[in-house]
Amino acid sequence: MNGPLPLSNPMAPRDERGMPVPLTESEHIAALKGKLLKDIQRSAYVYRVDCGGCNGCEIEIFAAITPVFDAERFGIKVVASPRHADILLFTGAVTRAMRMPALRAWQAAPDPKISVSYGACGCSGGIFHDLYCVWGGSDKIVPVDVYIPGCPPTPAATLYGFAMALGLLDQKLKGTHQIEGEADRAVVAHPAIALDVRVEIEREARRLAGYRAGRLIADEFLTLASETDLTLDECMKRRLSGEEDPRLAEILTRLWDIGAGVARG
Amino acid sequence: MLKLFKIIADAGEATAKYPFAPFPVSPGFRGKPELNAAQCIACAACTTACPANALTMGNDTADGTRTWQLNLGRCIFCGRCEEVCPTHAIVLTPEFELAVANKADLLQKATFRLQQCEQCGQPFAPAKEIGYVMDLLRQSGVAVDEARRAEFASCPACKRKATVTRDAVSQHLSQEAEQ
Repeated sequence: MNGPLPLSNPMAPRDERGMPVPLTESEHIAALKGKLLKDIQRSAYVYRVDCGGCNGCEIEIFAAITPVFDAERFGIKVVASPRHADILLFTGAVTRAMRMPALRAWQAAPDPKISVSYGACGCSGGIFHDLYCVWGGSDKIVPVDVYIPGCPPTPAATLYGFAMALGLLDQKLKGTHQIEGEADRAVVAHPAIALDVRVEIEREARRLAGYRAGRLIADEFLTLASETDLTLDECMKRRLSGEEDPRLAEILTRLWDIGAGVARG
Repeated sequence: MLKLFKIIADAGEATAKYPFAPFPVSPGFRGKPELNAAQCIACAACTTACPANALTMGNDTADGTRTWQLNLGRCIFCGRCEEVCPTHAIVLTPEFELAVANKADLLQKATFRLQQCEQCGQPFAPAKEIGYVMDLLRQSGVAVDEARRAEFASCPACKRKATVTRDAVSQHLSQEAEQ
């Protein structure tokens, strides 16, 4: 194609300022799509459009068609051409270079077709949302029917998304808006234990076990220490007697040392 | 032939029953982050930690509110928010069925009140954060009663001014005492 795109070009519709806008579906096609979803009696073929993703999403899509998740038992089959497809799966944050190929794939698929935005990048640009060279989501270029978030979505989430796209399962997630109540009050964790002792134990557990697991272990230790009637030594001996994970046992022993040191003063 | 059937029967079925049966996720699975707004102090630690900017917070000073927002479409389920949350208000649940047809359903919001400064009336911190700070001081052995709330509910600038005034007065008084 030579020269600037004409404004009326159906491949790349533009608004009055000359900026590209997403493609739209006519009402007729939308009605056809509703009819297709209602009376679908055959397999749904999926074509995967990579709009500049990291391939994580592709790996999970192929995990979803392995025997463990087996999307093919529902007739969902990945095909090699958009001309065979009922469902178009857009992955990636839509880089500048991949916008036109993605539009061409969308136009090549026969109507009525279902477009699915796959992964965090496809839904809203993901971690690339503010990059200069991406469009930030497949809904910026084509009309999207279902969004499957996740980075990448697990195979089970992929199956759920397909089932939703085909109208077999209902949407579970709803937008929420919680408002702070008058009597709301944040509860301090482990009020029976002095703050500096709690901080010391949490820091040590996180140093030894990593941030997330460390917090869980520190929480367990502090709950044990503050809610027992026994002495700390007896309580910890009982806790450690059946412990099969030597790493956890070591960390708990270390926390026990700190606790015992504090108790001695 | 029978031998083959026996081998097949012994191998069992590898395919997961999902979506006809609930899918058991592995322990430590990181799914949808869930905010317990009652426990949240709106300190914005999670929004600073969020690598994908899925978590954002905005102040509305005219209204005196702060709104926390999670865009699940942008979330990468890394769990940093859970790690940094000082009050354990945000937890990653095993919930993974997040597909939506309407993009607005991916937004999770929570609104909190801002504390107006007792002196100048400007909002300067979330109201719950002040209550939490007082509770933490109590936990570390400082006697703080509700009567001193006004002291904590002052913005840093007003606090500084009050300190300067108090010190000037006490200096003046001590000079008088010496004479």
